Amino acid sequence: MRQRSIATSLFLISGIWLIVALAGTAFLLSGLYSQALDTGLSETLDFHLETLVGRTLEAGDPRSDAIDLGDPRFDRPASGWYWAIRDPDGTVLNLSPSLVGMKVPVISAPFDDTSKRTAATKDDFATEIRVNEREVSVNGEKLRILVTGNLDEIFQLVDDFRSQALIVLGAVGVMLAIMSFVVARIALRPINQLRTAVERVREGESESVTGTFPREIAPLADEVNQLLNSNAQIIERARSQVGNLAHGLKTPLAVLRNEANAAPKDGLSRIVLSESDKMTQLVSTYLDRARLAARTAIVGKKADAAILVSRLARVMQKLHPDRNVEFRRPDASLPWFRGDEGDLEEMAGNLLDNACKWATKNVRVSLVADRREASPMLVVRVEDDGNGLTDEEASKVLRRGVRLDEKTPGSGLGLDIVKELVDVYGGSLQLGRSELGGLRAELRLPAARPGRN
Amino acid sequence: MRILVVEDDTNLNRQIKDALTDAGYAVDVAFDGEEGHYLGDTEPYDAVVLDIGLPQMDGLSVLEQWRRDGKTMPVLLLTARDRWSDKVQGIDAGADDYVAKPFHMEELLARLRALVRRAAGHASNEITAGPVRLDVRSGKVTVEGQAIKLTSHELRLLSYLMHHKGKVISRTELTEHLYDQDFDRDSNTIEVFVGRLRKKLPDEVIQTVRGLGYQIVGD
Repeated sequence: MRQRSIATSLFLISGIWLIVALAGTAFLLSGLYSQALDTGLSETLDFHLETLVGRTLEAGDPRSDAIDLGDPRFDRPASGWYWAIRDPDGTVLNLSPSLVGMKVPVISAPFDDTSKRTAATKDDFATEIRVNEREVSVNGEKLRILVTGNLDEIFQLVDDFRSQALIVLGAVGVMLAIMSFVVARIALRPINQLRTAVERVREGESESVTGTFPREIAPLADEVNQLLNSNAQIIERARSQVGNLAHGLKTPLAVLRNEANAAPKDGLSRIVLSESDKMTQLVSTYLDRARLAARTAIVGKKADAAILVSRLARVMQKLHPDRNVEFRRPDASLPWFRGDEGDLEEMAGNLLDNACKWATKNVRVSLVADRREASPMLVVRVEDDGNGLTDEEASKVLRRGVRLDEKTPGSGLGLDIVKELVDVYGGSLQLGRSELGGLRAELRLPAARPGRN
Repeated sequence: MRILVVEDDTNLNRQIKDALTDAGYAVDVAFDGEEGHYLGDTEPYDAVVLDIGLPQMDGLSVLEQWRRDGKTMPVLLLTARDRWSDKVQGIDAGADDYVAKPFHMEELLARLRALVRRAAGHASNEITAGPVRLDVRSGKVTVEGQAIKLTSHELRLLSYLMHHKGKVISRTELTEHLYDQDFDRDSNTIEVFVGRLRKKLPDEVIQTVRGLGYQIVGD
C-alpha cells in the first residue's frame, strides 16, 4: 500500500502548525497591545481627573470658567474627549467645551473604595469612549467629576497594528514554509540515495548497497546488505544442492546405462537405455540452466584472461598430445574479462576443444583487445587447420534463438553453452576462415580494467 | 597391462572392472580414496581410472599425492563435474585425461587405451615388431598379415612386451603387470605362457635375456 509521501505529510503538518501558531501570535500581540493602550488611556484619564479636582479646589467654585485642562482635545466638539462636573443629583455644574450641546455620558457601575468608577460607553455620535468618574468633596460640597477619552482612536491603532503584524507574520510564515519544504527535501535525500543504491544492486551494477548514509539511514542500508547477503547465500546453497543432486545422479545413470548396454538386447534393457539417456539429457540441460539462472552472481567479477587461456592451452596440449596448441601471449596492456572466470574457461575451453578435435595438426589461440568502440571488448580468437565450416554451416551453427531448452542432441560442436554464455554477457561469437586454413572462432566479450592477481 | 580402478559406487566399479577384464587387462579395484592411494603407491600399475568424488580422501588429493611422490602412471579421471574449470583443475592436479559421467564404456576403454599407448611412447594404435602387428583397439594380432588366435593371457603378455618393445622385461615385472593383486603369483606360469606364445609367433620375436628377462626387439 502506498501512503502519502513523507515530504508532503511533513510539509502539511508543519504548515498547519505554522498557520495556527502565527495567527495565534498575531491575535495575542494585538490583544496585549490594545490592553496596554487601554491601560495607558485609563491612566491619562485618572491624571486629568486629578488635575480637574486640583483646579476645582484652586478655583473654589466648581462652576468657575477657570477650570480647564489645557488639552486642546477637550475643546474640540464631539472629539470623544470630554469632562464634566456634576452634583450627586446629576445637575451639570461645569463641562468641557467639547461636550457643549451634548448629553453627558452616563455610566451605571458602582463606585469603588477610592470613590472611583470606570466603564466604556458611547457618546451621542456613537463614538466609543472610556469614562472615568470620581466622587469628591470640595469645600464641603459633594461633586462627581467625570473625564472621558476616545476609545475608537485606540481601536484604530490596534487594527493598524494587527494588520501590520499579520503582514509581517505572514511573510515569516511563508519563509518558514519554504524552509520546512527544503528541510523535508534535505532530510529525505539519503532515502533517495538509498533507493538509487538498491536499484544499482538490482540492475546488477553493484554487489551491495554502497555509499555513506546518515546515522538514521545507515542501519537500514546495513540491513538491506545483510538481506542481500543472506539471499545470495540461500540462492548459492540452493544452486549447489541442485548441482549436487544433478552430479549425484550421474553415477547411478552411468551404472544403469552400462548395465543395460551390457545386457542382452531385450525390451527391458532397451527401455532402461533410452530412459537413462533421456535422464542424462535432462540432468545436463537443467544443470546448464541452473548455472545460467544464477548469473546475478557475476556482478563485479573480473578475471585475467591471459592466465586462464594460457592454462587452458596447456591443458589442451595435454589432452590432445598429437596436436600443436599455440598460445599467443598478449602484451601486458590486455584488459581483463568482465565476468566469472569459470564462464570464460567454459567458453574458451569448448572452442579450443572443438578446434583440437577438428584440427589436422595446429591450433592457435590468441587474445587481443578491440578498443574501437566506447566500451572496449576482449577478443578470444581460436583457429585451427582443419577443414573449417562453409558459410552455410557456420550460420546454421550460430543460428539465433536455438536455446538450451530446445537443445537437440547431436550438434556435435558443444557450442550451445558457449552461445548461451555469450548472450548472457552481451558478447558475440563469430565463425570464419582462419589463415591456418580451418575454422576461426572469435569470441568478443566485455572487458574490464586489469586488476591484481 | 594392469589397471587400478578407484570408484566408490560398487556397481560402477564392478562394471568397469568387468569391461576392462574383458578387454584383456588385469584389474585391481579400490572403493575409497585411502585404499586407492595405498594401492597406487605400492603396486606398479600401467594406468589408473580414478573417480574424483571418493570417501576418505578425494580423487584429486589422491592424484596430487601420487604425483608428489613421483608416480607417473597415466591417470584417467572419472568426474561428474564436466565444466572446463573442473577439468582444468583435474589436469593441473596431474591427470592425463578425463571422462565425464555418465559415459559410454567404449569411450572409457578408448581413452584408457590411448593413455597406455601414449605412456609407452607409441603414437599410433598399431604397434609392430618385425612381422608381428598388434592393433591395440581390437586386440587383434597379425603375423605378416595373417591373423593369429591368442588366449587372453597370451594377449596380455604379448601386448605388454610390444608396448615396451626394445626393453628387457623381468619376470617379476611381467607378473606385476599381467596379474591382479589376488592372482597366485608363480613365476613359472610366466614361463609357461611365454612358451605357448612363442609357438604361435615366428622364432626370435620374443628373446630371452639370460638372468634378466624377456625382450621383443623393435624395428
